[in-house]
Amino acid sequence: MALVPDGQVFWSRTKIDILEAPETLKPYGLRLEVYGEYEVFWDGVLIGKNGNPGQEADLPPEGRLWTTFTIPAHLTNVGEHVMALRLSNYYYPDHTGNYGLKIDYYDDLLTDRLIQNSYMHVFAGAFLITAIYFLFLFIGNKKEYPALIFSISCLLFFGLTMTHFVKTTVPIHYSLHVIRLEVITSLMFGISFLIPLYFSMQFPYPKWKLILGIYTAILLFIFSIEHHLFDLTILNMTLSLLLFSLCIAVFGVYKKAKGALLVLLTLLLCIFIRHYVSLNISLFTGFSLILLNMLYLLSLRIKEQRLAYENSLVQSTRLRLELLKKNIQPHFLMNTLTSLIDWIEETPKKGVLFIEALAKEFDLLNQIENQTLIPISQEIALCRAHLEIMEYRKEVNYSWQEEDIDSEQKIPPGILHTLLENGITHSLPLKDNSIKFKLYFESSADYDCYTFLTYAEIVKQASAQRQEGTGLKYIKARLTESYHDLWELISEPAHHGWKNVIKIYR
Amino acid sequence: MNILIVEDELRIAKRIERMTRDIFGSAIQSLKHLNTLHEALNYIENSKLDLVLLDLNLNGDNGFDLLTKAVSESFHTIIISAYKNQAITAFEHGVLDFVPKPFNQDRLAQAFNRATAKEKVENSKIRFLGIKKKGRTQLVPIEDIVYIKGAGVYTELFLIDGRKELHDKSLEKLEQLLSYSFERIHKSYLVKMSEIKEINVSSGSKYMAELKNGERIPIGRTKYKDIKAKWV
Repeated sequence: MALVPDGQVFWSRTKIDILEAPETLKPYGLRLEVYGEYEVFWDGVLIGKNGNPGQEADLPPEGRLWTTFTIPAHLTNVGEHVMALRLSNYYYPDHTGNYGLKIDYYDDLLTDRLIQNSYMHVFAGAFLITAIYFLFLFIGNKKEYPALIFSISCLLFFGLTMTHFVKTTVPIHYSLHVIRLEVITSLMFGISFLIPLYFSMQFPYPKWKLILGIYTAILLFIFSIEHHLFDLTILNMTLSLLLFSLCIAVFGVYKKAKGALLVLLTLLLCIFIRHYVSLNISLFTGFSLILLNMLYLLSLRIKEQRLAYENSLVQSTRLRLELLKKNIQPHFLMNTLTSLIDWIEETPKKGVLFIEALAKEFDLLNQIENQTLIPISQEIALCRAHLEIMEYRKEVNYSWQEEDIDSEQKIPPGILHTLLENGITHSLPLKDNSIKFKLYFESSADYDCYTFLTYAEIVKQASAQRQEGTGLKYIKARLTESYHDLWELISEPAHHGWKNVIKIYR
Repeated sequence: MNILIVEDELRIAKRIERMTRDIFGSAIQSLKHLNTLHEALNYIENSKLDLVLLDLNLNGDNGFDLLTKAVSESFHTIIISAYKNQAITAFEHGVLDFVPKPFNQDRLAQAFNRATAKEKVENSKIRFLGIKKKGRTQLVPIEDIVYIKGAGVYTELFLIDGRKELHDKSLEKLEQLLSYSFERIHKSYLVKMSEIKEINVSSGSKYMAELKNGERIPIGRTKYKDIKAKWV
């Protein structure tokens, strides 16, 4: 068809074969999707008007893109008919043509669309609710970016569905139709970006930010070239989204990530569907499947988080008990009591001092037992009390030195105490019957560091490989409880005895 | 008496030492105190001892190695430990007594009495005897032993499968530990009562015990009545 500029009137004629006449009192209808304002003639009879053909330049836009007309029953006998459009296309002279023509019973033409739309609105509504729910979840926990991405994806998908099925509900003049297509393409762009982003966060692969950046660039490129060919752009974006997500899922499966296999299978199913049904149907079924998958992954993560949280509660209780147990475990208690009896039998006065030292340690322990962080000064007091007790038991001259301690600093309870216990247990006194412990503190821009040194002779272990004792496990669990993975513990022999370093990163 | 105390708590070691001297008095020939597992293992290897007083938790080490080593030796072992729950393991391995901390002189004396008075220990828990083989200690289950024969300061363990193993403790010491299921039927033999099939009197009023595996073991003239009574 040649261009007809300036909104001049031209005619378009279509031959239509009616193979079956309508039932009586049920007229046929005609549904059109045509760019332009026009009058419809059926076998030469004017049956409908949509805008003002030929006067578009002077009058404001009128009429709508999707219209339905009745065809008088006496004109729909079996046989050949002619539908003629007298139309003008002022706004898109290069888009002349008939984009949709359907003849059916007039009632069915109207109700079919309504029924389809009502289903699609329910469908879209489900995604809207999901979007709102996960938005609230994100607001409740600002670190939950996957929930936010999922929420936005659902919202975009809701928007996509609504814009796609807007035909029946909102009348649009043909001059505005490009806006709808732009909106659809932009929503598609958003979805095509967010879904791989989501999968990248769930199944992280090396340099994922960089690769995702490259993918975004490709997406932008697809979005910008041949932009006016909306279907092509959408198709290309969908394909890149599927391919990229597929790669991520394959990597996830390779890394044995939970849920990756299901994602992989779903994506393959999407590609399969795309192959066998129209773009529109595959778009909606495909996306709903993918979104369901994303929801499933989120539920997996939420379950993991809940388990981790429950675990941390159990762990805290366990650590608290372990701290409490320190002074009632038989090795400490029974040896202390035996020594105490001996002191009382021999020199009751010393025995009393011993009891006082014991009381001090129990008192300090009582003060800290239900806390996860205590002032370092309190921990040092605990260590000193412990040394006093051990002096009565072992009759070794223990000494304690500290340097550059910032008494404002806090540390988990019992960790220096545990290092001290280890130091006492595994050491023999030097020639002058002394064992010295030294604690110093360094603080830098990146970390706080406690160094705890034992000056003694270290006992040779009978078993060649020294197992990690419950003491070190306790310290590590305490550090993890308060600093997650931002800590480092080194415990190793040194020429003077033993060296422990606890680094806490900021 | 040659006694070794293995204890890493100095105050407690001194207490044990003092009480031991009080109880044994001049009967003590040597009394040594050691701090660490390592030293103790060396000392046991190279000295002649009659009694070892052992703490099982030394410098954070599990004393199990030392326990199996100690019970395979010729001396009796008494455990002095803060962990009452180790008592069963200790008795299973054939220690003479288990003294839980805190202890007093009476309790220690009671334990020592078992060692000196050759009193029989009603230890139904004993499950193993330690033997030394190729420089290592092995544990022989008591249920595998049919009878034990004295061989000078050593003993020979005769096992169900026909094997014979050498053990370092004397027959007297084993009699003390195994009195729950074994009887001294002869000055050179300690036999598990449940293994005796028949008791015969042969010519010249020689008394013989016939075992389930067919072996015949002499019964001491003085023991016969006693054994006969117990066996029925």
